[in-house]
Amino acid sequence: MPPTAVGELVNDSGSKVVKEVEVASAVEVASAVEVEVEVEVEVEAASAVEVASEAGSKAVTESASETASKLASEETHNPDERSDPPPSNFQPGAQPRISRKLMEMLQGAACYRAHDRWAFLYRVLWRWHSGEHDVISMADVDGTRLHHMVRAARHEEHDMHAYLRFRERPEEAGAPRFVAWFEPAHDVLPQVAQHFAKRMGKTSWMIATPEATVLWDGARLHTGEALARSAADFDDAGESLWLTYYRSIFNPARLNADIMHGHIRQRFWKNLPEAAVVPHMVTQAAAGARKVGQLDTVGKRGGTTIPISSEKAAPERQQPSSLDECRRCDLWQNATQAVAGQGARRAKIMLVGEQPGDQEDLAGKPFVGPAGDLLDKAMDEAALDRRTVYVTNAVKHFKWEPRGKRRLHKTPAQKEVMACRYWLETELETVAPDVLVALGSTALKSILQTGSVTMKDYMGAPFEHEGRWVVVTYHPAYALRVPDRESRQAAFAAIVEALKTAQQLASGGTAPGL
Amino acid sequence: MELNDKLEILADAAKYDASCASSGAPKRSSEGKDGLGATNGMGICHSYTPDGRCVSLLKILLTNFCVYDCQYCVNRRTSNVPRARFTVQEVVKLTVDFYLRNYIDGLFLSSGIIQSADYTMEQLVAVARELREVHQFRGYIHLKTIPDADPALIEAAGRYADRLSVNIELPTQDSVQRLAPEKNVHTIKLAMGNIRLKLDEKENEPKAPKFAPAGQSTQMIVGADASDDARILTTAETLYGSYKLKRVYYSAFSPIPESPKSVPLAPPPLLREHRLYQADFLLRSYGFQAKELLPDSGNLPLDIDPKLAWALTHREHFPMDLNRAEPQMIARIPGIGIRNAQRIVELRRMRQVRWADLARLRCSMKKVAPFIVTADYRPAQDTTPSDTLRKAMADVPQQMALFPELQAA
Ligand code: SF4
Repeated sequence: MPPTAVGELVNDSGSKVVKEVEVASAVEVASAVEVEVEVEVEVEAASAVEVASEAGSKAVTESASETASKLASEETHNPDERSDPPPSNFQPGAQPRISRKLMEMLQGAACYRAHDRWAFLYRVLWRWHSGEHDVISMADVDGTRLHHMVRAARHEEHDMHAYLRFRERPEEAGAPRFVAWFEPAHDVLPQVAQHFAKRMGKTSWMIATPEATVLWDGARLHTGEALARSAADFDDAGESLWLTYYRSIFNPARLNADIMHGHIRQRFWKNLPEAAVVPHMVTQAAAGARKVGQLDTVGKRGGTTIPISSEKAAPERQQPSSLDECRRCDLWQNATQAVAGQGARRAKIMLVGEQPGDQEDLAGKPFVGPAGDLLDKAMDEAALDRRTVYVTNAVKHFKWEPRGKRRLHKTPAQKEVMACRYWLETELETVAPDVLVALGSTALKSILQTGSVTMKDYMGAPFEHEGRWVVVTYHPAYALRVPDRESRQAAFAAIVEALKTAQQLASGGTAPGL
Repeated sequence: MELNDKLEILADAAKYDASCASSGAPKRSSEGKDGLGATNGMGICHSYTPDGRCVSLLKILLTNFCVYDCQYCVNRRTSNVPRARFTVQEVVKLTVDFYLRNYIDGLFLSSGIIQSADYTMEQLVAVARELREVHQFRGYIHLKTIPDADPALIEAAGRYADRLSVNIELPTQDSVQRLAPEKNVHTIKLAMGNIRLKLDEKENEPKAPKFAPAGQSTQMIVGADASDDARILTTAETLYGSYKLKRVYYSAFSPIPESPKSVPLAPPPLLREHRLYQADFLLRSYGFQAKELLPDSGNLPLDIDPKLAWALTHREHFPMDLNRAEPQMIARIPGIGIRNAQRIVELRRMRQVRWADLARLRCSMKKVAPFIVTADYRPAQDTTPSDTLRKAMADVPQQMALFPELQAA
């Protein structure tokens, strides 16, 4: 591949502009992945972007100081690359102080093969040293090229992680057990070797490239001279299983070879074993087999159906409770499950909340989330044993709307409250409590079966309704939500007070104030 | 049966599941250790097949014997397909052999339902356990989770697997009931909810046992029932919100041999699938809501991408001044992706953003032109009607080329 050529000129305002940038296709592919949403097809989005940007940012072979001195020593070779005189405060021999980010970028870009790579990196370093710190920004012409070099080298490294293929040598041949041949376009072999050292454990392997060879003996890396390609050219019976897999996992009904070629660059194909079967797969698929997804050779084998009746096939499931099958309103659709009340079957006190929240929806139990914790605390403080009461909600399915990646609680509408009232009545009949504690206004609206009530008209004033006491207080979620601490404490105290009142009423006492 | 025959049948049977990701696992290394395998969180596509899909995992079924009768599935019990079953040892050997040759990043194992949900899940867990405990395999493992299996088995699966997935299969409860009579949306949601609770638990208590560090995902088949894109995206949004899914995969329904009458014979709706992926990406990463993209029922347009479609119906936001706009709004401009939006914000801290900067960032200039204002540029006629712009910017995607040929065939 021809090296990147960047022509440069100085325009009237004195700032540099790029005249002609002929960027390696590596960069195009890398940036194409992230440019727009259009490109994301099958690849995990996160990985597509990460692959393009993060690939191989660490494993660096040369130590920072080696790179720096290499850069410095090349200064004399390219005298005409930069015409500006050194800044007046420049002191030859002074150790340049550079940021970590710049060092990482220089290290990355140093792997990029270009005839002027050292001169260019030297210029970047020099400009930085003279105080031009935006030399590493995309807003700068050199910065843009630097970014492109870093990305192209990372991309090459990533391609090598992806498309290198090991062949297994016969056991009796000894180490290395696995051998690969690869022709990288940039100097990324040392980083790639680190990658495979992590991957292969104590298994020995060798990677040969036209420039150098790396051997892993199971414990240590050794670098050597280039070997001939034939070092990696031998039969590995294991390859045929891979070709079987490759043919089978392909869906001829989705034939779209252009996308494949868009992903794997031409120069890699000659070393990929699967290249041998691609043309046949494409012709077969194009010739009509593509109407179904099945591989033709699978279709030609004899088939079997499985004689089992539908009743026997279905798993034994708990009969859904009729509550779970409730379709009285639409709230069931976006919820996981209906959350029924829980507690003593003959409880004297029934606490009625609003609706299950995020945690309740997943767990299938009322008051298990943060509001539940607060309610427990309030019950403790009111010396009310949770096991003796019955806890439920006015509405049994969680009503919510998406907010980013979270579910935001939404107050149920009166028509949903009324639809769900059916289930509250069932619970009232079975449990037959003497006292109802309405936690919040939805509960009150359900108990009174009307949307036009205001909580504060009933707060602190228990009343009789349909033969039961009703005590009204805040919902515990309110006591968590109010912004200032004092109001939170006051709300909590009101809940505790209401629970105490309920207890008195349940044990036959009269309500305070009556 | 030879291993090669089994592989041919059981990879063929597994290809309809679109998931291929191998990202999101914590960093692991085998350097200087017994065993093999490494992960660095990113995932690698080791090859692409001529359908343009990435190969990053050994994606196979443990068996394609199945007692269920899902109409869209080639392995349903009434389908006359060759059947095979791997032993645990065979799957382990294939995974290790493929991994050492650098064909794959790990294993994605699913299965037909044999005997019972619990028995099937036990078999899947057995493979993962063998790989992790006996072979000290540190590569990626994705296990399909059988929704009706015992929660204790799902917990065990999460101990060995990086990712778990429960397939929702179809966008509505009615379609599942009709096309997959043995499956049940209620138990599918319960299984997802259960996995999310375990993931939350692990997040809140770092000392809790390991559980599926790469999270959970699901798959929805597109085009096997009559659900429109609005329904599909709302369902996806509900699932993302409720179960913290990492991904929803959309799989264009591919006609299967001896297809039952209940499912279409049409070619796979690939372009539609593609638009759904784009819309999904906008939901996950750009802060769009399903109802912004499709306020009413219906499908995403095929001729333009969903972001452009949104912009053309929301001209009141445009042209947007790149030197002033809210950062999250910049990413809503057609032709500017999230990373470039970030770069633009970085750039404008230093100086005014100019037209040439966008070219350098490789934005699609034709696309951004009507929607932006820079220090030195303002669109000539920002009054161009939306349908004129739409015509000018309609894609002629490669996938379109499929249809004439298929219609001719
Ligand atoms: S359960 Fe349904 S989807 Fe899965 S293999 Fe069996 S028939 Fe196919």
